[in-house]
Amino acid sequence: MGPLEIKRVFSCIQCGKCTGSCPESGRTPLNVRILVRRSQLGHGIDNSHLWYCTSCGTCTLRCPRDVKPSELIFSIRGLLVESGEISLSVQKALENTFLQKNPWGRARTKRAEWVSKAGLDVKHIKEVSEKRLLLSCCVHAYDPRCSVIPVNISRILGRCGVEFGILGEEEACCGNEIRRLGERGLFEELQEENTSNFRKYGIREIIALSPHCMNAISKEYGSVDFKVYHYTEVLWMMIKEGQLRIEKEYKKRVIYHDPCFLGKQNGIFEEPRNILKSISGLELIEFSRSRENSLCCEGGGGRMFYEVGTNYERNAKIRVNEAFERKAEVIAVSCPFCLMTLEEQAVEKGIEVKDISEILMEVI
Amino acid sequence: MKILVFVKRVAAAQEEELKIIKDGEDIDLSKLPFKMNDWDSYAIEEAIRIVEKAGGQVAAISIGDRESDDVLRRSIAMGAKEGFLLNRDKPIIDPVLRAKLAFNFIKGENVNFDVIFTGVQAEDDQFGVFGGYLAALLGLPYASMVVRIEDLGEGYMVVRRELEGGLIERIKVSTPCILSIQTGINEPRYVSIMGIRKASQVERKVYEASLYMEGLFSGIELLKWSYPPKKEGAKLLPGDMDAACKELLNILREKGVYQ
Repeated sequence: MGPLEIKRVFSCIQCGKCTGSCPESGRTPLNVRILVRRSQLGHGIDNSHLWYCTSCGTCTLRCPRDVKPSELIFSIRGLLVESGEISLSVQKALENTFLQKNPWGRARTKRAEWVSKAGLDVKHIKEVSEKRLLLSCCVHAYDPRCSVIPVNISRILGRCGVEFGILGEEEACCGNEIRRLGERGLFEELQEENTSNFRKYGIREIIALSPHCMNAISKEYGSVDFKVYHYTEVLWMMIKEGQLRIEKEYKKRVIYHDPCFLGKQNGIFEEPRNILKSISGLELIEFSRSRENSLCCEGGGGRMFYEVGTNYERNAKIRVNEAFERKAEVIAVSCPFCLMTLEEQAVEKGIEVKDISEILMEVI
Repeated sequence: MKILVFVKRVAAAQEEELKIIKDGEDIDLSKLPFKMNDWDSYAIEEAIRIVEKAGGQVAAISIGDRESDDVLRRSIAMGAKEGFLLNRDKPIIDPVLRAKLAFNFIKGENVNFDVIFTGVQAEDDQFGVFGGYLAALLGLPYASMVVRIEDLGEGYMVVRRELEGGLIERIKVSTPCILSIQTGINEPRYVSIMGIRKASQVERKVYEASLYMEGLFSGIELLKWSYPPKKEGAKLLPGDMDAACKELLNILREKGVYQ
């Protein structure tokens, strides 16, 4: 920990707002307030508790003393990474990212296979004059369920005549989860590689498909001379300006789940809702915990690569149960991690989980 | 105890569909990342675990071009004390030639050791010859496929070897000796980027391989790369679900799978 982080830890007044806000505290062994207190006193902590954190950021956002408890967790994870005291699955995710630039260790040469598989004609950014980059997350690039999202967005942008390009094999993990797993050095390498590519191709605008990538690039890469948008911002702009026309009805009751990295951490609440509201026939309903209070799906902070104890009810299940009680037919999401965690639970309840781009493709 | 471990830098090719280029003369590795040979990671980890318990030091040796420094840095980050690179731009495809080069280097530079570890084989050429041939040249005992080192005694080691048919052989090998280490003997530790950066500050000695190759020649020459013949593809059953299921049952009956 650096001096600034130590100062922050000692600013804690033990008000407990962090623990009260945490989507893991109370049901799992993670107790953020106790963690900070033990750090203040120099007492040992149970390292296994740290891996329950989903990096939703609520503790840091609500802390009245700017202690940034989630950053403390990443720092302690960092010490464990340096000493090699990490689980094998986390180790593999980090090694894979070092080697193939994605946590699953899939070949980097296949990063843009979603383009050819869908029969699309998407250009490399160097061949595009607008220098608008469509940036997919590693999940979009390699997971067959999520690869439909870059395909959809490419088709929508193409149909509206919006010029864009991709980095293809040069695209690397943004490092958002890597930093949160505590591998600061690897995050810096990814940041350096990505930033150098953005500079090399003179990128002026990035459309990030994942809120996690948007967050890392816009907030954690230092000063950048281009604008980073989440795709829902771009699509809403296009709908508002009449560039993207919705021509069909969608007669379903839809509940929207705010992803932590889009909503509470980056303040994008309206654009996804506005897109859904602009679809005639679609009845938009809300979760009891929505917007800033949205319940984390538990897909972030490296939790995609680490299986914690299973003796507690998963947030995704709580979320799906509420959607079911509210008679929602579709849970709309705008983050690939949320899509995967919620869909796993929703299948049993017969509720569809759809990325906003999937709903749009049915109505344009 | 001083342990020498031979480590090799190989292309990470498992996930790839490799392309043959130059009319069969070469394969295109230009876009592939490179890493430490999997078996060698286990070998270096095992060596480090031994010296952490029993004292001593580990030295990593790599035969390859300057880029092979990567695997030496990684070895040092894992806990090796020093790294030697036998530098040669052109790959040596003959494992016997590599063993002879290693032999000349060890003798020529008076490299001391109690034990030499190699991986069972390399991911790229899969010969599995290097350790055994080097042992023969040095006139030392050799044990392959080592899955456990049980005991380190004065002048001997007790090791377990993995054999076919689910058998394990427990043997006593007198030292100095050469062991080829099988994957799964341990779980290689994580090496952070910070760890690799720190390891970069440790000097790795570079020796020109050509100095130790006088009079040596490659007994193996690459003639041509080719793809294995394509096997028959899957059979798609046409028609609607009922017809396809009936056809499937017929096929299963024919093959004797379903009575």
